[in-house]
Amino acid sequence: MDLTYTAAEEEFRSELRSWLQANIPDEWKRPGFWESLDDDENFRLRRDWERDKALAGFAGIQWPTEFGGRGGTPGMKAIYDVEMVLASAPRTVNPLGLTFLAPTVMAIGTEAQKKDIIGPMLRNEVIWCQGFSEPGAGSDLAALSCKGVRDGDDFVVNGQKVWTTNAVHGDKIFTMVRTEAGSQKHRGISMLLIDMHQDGVDARPLKQMSGASEFGEVFFSDARVPATEVLGEIGEGWRTAMLLLSFERGASGISQYTEFRRQYDEIVGVARRLGRDQDPVIRGKLARVLTDLECLRYHAMHVQTQVEQGRDLGFEASMTKLIWSEPSQDLWEIFDEILGEDATLDSLPDPSGVDLDLRPLHAQAMWSRSVTIWGGSSQVQRNVTAERVLGLPR
Amino acid sequence: MFFALDEDQREFDAAVRSYLAERFDLDAVRGVVEDASGDGHPASLWKAAAEQGWLAVTVPEEHDGLGLGLVEAQVIARALGAGVAPGPWRGTVLAAEAIRLAGSPEQQAAWLPRLSSGDAVGAFTLRGSAPGTLPVVEYGAVASVIVARSGEGLALVSGTATPLGSYDGTTRLASVEAGAGEALPGATGEVIADLEARATVLVAADLAGIAREAITRTVAYDRDRQQFGVPVGSFQAIKHALADLHVAVTLAEHAVLYASHAVDAGLDGADLAVAVAKAKASDAAFDATAAMIQYHGGIGYTWEHEAHFFYKRAKRLANAYGDGDVHRARIAELTIG
Repeated sequence: MDLTYTAAEEEFRSELRSWLQANIPDEWKRPGFWESLDDDENFRLRRDWERDKALAGFAGIQWPTEFGGRGGTPGMKAIYDVEMVLASAPRTVNPLGLTFLAPTVMAIGTEAQKKDIIGPMLRNEVIWCQGFSEPGAGSDLAALSCKGVRDGDDFVVNGQKVWTTNAVHGDKIFTMVRTEAGSQKHRGISMLLIDMHQDGVDARPLKQMSGASEFGEVFFSDARVPATEVLGEIGEGWRTAMLLLSFERGASGISQYTEFRRQYDEIVGVARRLGRDQDPVIRGKLARVLTDLECLRYHAMHVQTQVEQGRDLGFEASMTKLIWSEPSQDLWEIFDEILGEDATLDSLPDPSGVDLDLRPLHAQAMWSRSVTIWGGSSQVQRNVTAERVLGLPR
Repeated sequence: MFFALDEDQREFDAAVRSYLAERFDLDAVRGVVEDASGDGHPASLWKAAAEQGWLAVTVPEEHDGLGLGLVEAQVIARALGAGVAPGPWRGTVLAAEAIRLAGSPEQQAAWLPRLSSGDAVGAFTLRGSAPGTLPVVEYGAVASVIVARSGEGLALVSGTATPLGSYDGTTRLASVEAGAGEALPGATGEVIADLEARATVLVAADLAGIAREAITRTVAYDRDRQQFGVPVGSFQAIKHALADLHVAVTLAEHAVLYASHAVDAGLDGADLAVAVAKAKASDAAFDATAAMIQYHGGIGYTWEHEAHFFYKRAKRLANAYGDGDVHRARIAELTIG
């Protein structure tokens, strides 16, 4: 048993911490700051900051140096994730590109794709969207109907994608398109890399229940994409997508713990302020969530150990999603319970004279409703866990 | 970062499990449970425990032990839980731990080699106080020495044991009218708290073992059992429940492993880790063994089926050294104030 990081990893931590301390304005850490900006300004600030961070060498932590990465260890990636949370650093604007597309391109992309995609993504010159879900294909992704027809050197794409993160800010979108007419289910699909800056692509914001518009919908009307802009083989898009989704893991559990533990302490603070912190029912519920959050931390250490040992976690990833998403949702339900009837108010008067602004907390509470849906709903994760991990019959 | 059992620890685990599977399976457990007049302390299992180092695990090498820690002890505890194995293993290990941590050199020399070799049987309880009544002692009737509270500290005691009836036939209990005994000179409040943490972790490990085995057996049954022309395990009502239980048991296993290391290494937050492990393992074991009965249907409710061994053992241990609510109250104290 060894729960420590190496000297080189700790050295990396202190370098990163210094850079973050010097490069995040205090104002950005004020609760409600990001919510107070309009969506475009919010995005632009984060995009520029993240570019500067990349230029300072704090991006692509685990990526090979030949791709502009830092060539670091899984431990450094975990440290990076945790320090970003501790520093209240802005969230990435390129999450789908960095987490999913880049490692897939490194694994199966052509030399031209490796050169064209990874560097510009790292510097936020190109913001990537993911075009998977459709109105008729959510959990059942293989029901997708967006279609691409070969026309000379291009595919001509028609159809619609939905729940597309950063849709209105996106430059390119890796898109699951049915390129073989009449094909069924997971056959005959290709992953096309479509330029969103063309007349045939219309991205519209979708307002979420929180009021923000982080995602949107994308309409393709005779959008054109060169047939060379395919990731993986033509007709083998399902295989490419499965590889791509397999990168939804790694060492980020420990940073999720760090974030949720901070939220827990924040919620305890609210309970204390309202005189609810000695209520035995609230205490019991908080302790139940804390138990699961500590277990998330242990699970993250388990996952990181497996990664460092070079083992493939396979379908265990379905459990990991349940292990972080469900307690984070439970936590915010307790927040609402602490506030009771006043949970919906924008602010609470406080004897100290400083009103408690609840809106930043509401934003997090609303967000928690989404985490058990996107990236595979909890119900799908339970199916996968039961069938692929436990071996129960389909 | 290495949060897992190492190769030696995995070999230890495999050795305990293969012994139980081959030499002390559920038929043997049933024999002990149904032998109401017996002492619940099967000689063959005790001999194996002694020969294979299960009793010597935490005893220092200078006293003929293996000099290992709580991480290795929880490996054994988990395997014994999975096998719902009878016998005074935990009491013997905890008595040895008390003597190691609080005993005089003479007490250590007198007892540790004998406990380590299986020549003496130990028991450990924090309920009651000597001299006086120790109300419930695991294997109190076969123990050569009992570690019990005495005043502010602990003492090595013996006394008159009266067997207690208990529906968990895999663990025999007795009340003991204990004499004053012989004080353990190093038994400060801090040492007693440390011993309680060790006892709690070993009980949590037994529960994690019970819970895992309950799920594994239920999954195996529901893969085969046909109703409505299909395996019952193909129904989502059962799949989703078993998936959630698998997650809960996996987390309980992680939590027990972490807590055992935290206590061994004296990590900051070891007290929180112990409370988390016991809360998680208590709930997971109760839920998993209740589900074992439910998802076997009628057969799971019979005496003939093994489900009740797991359920009954979990029922008692989930409450021993504090149930989930007790530990959640502790977690609230530590994180809310």
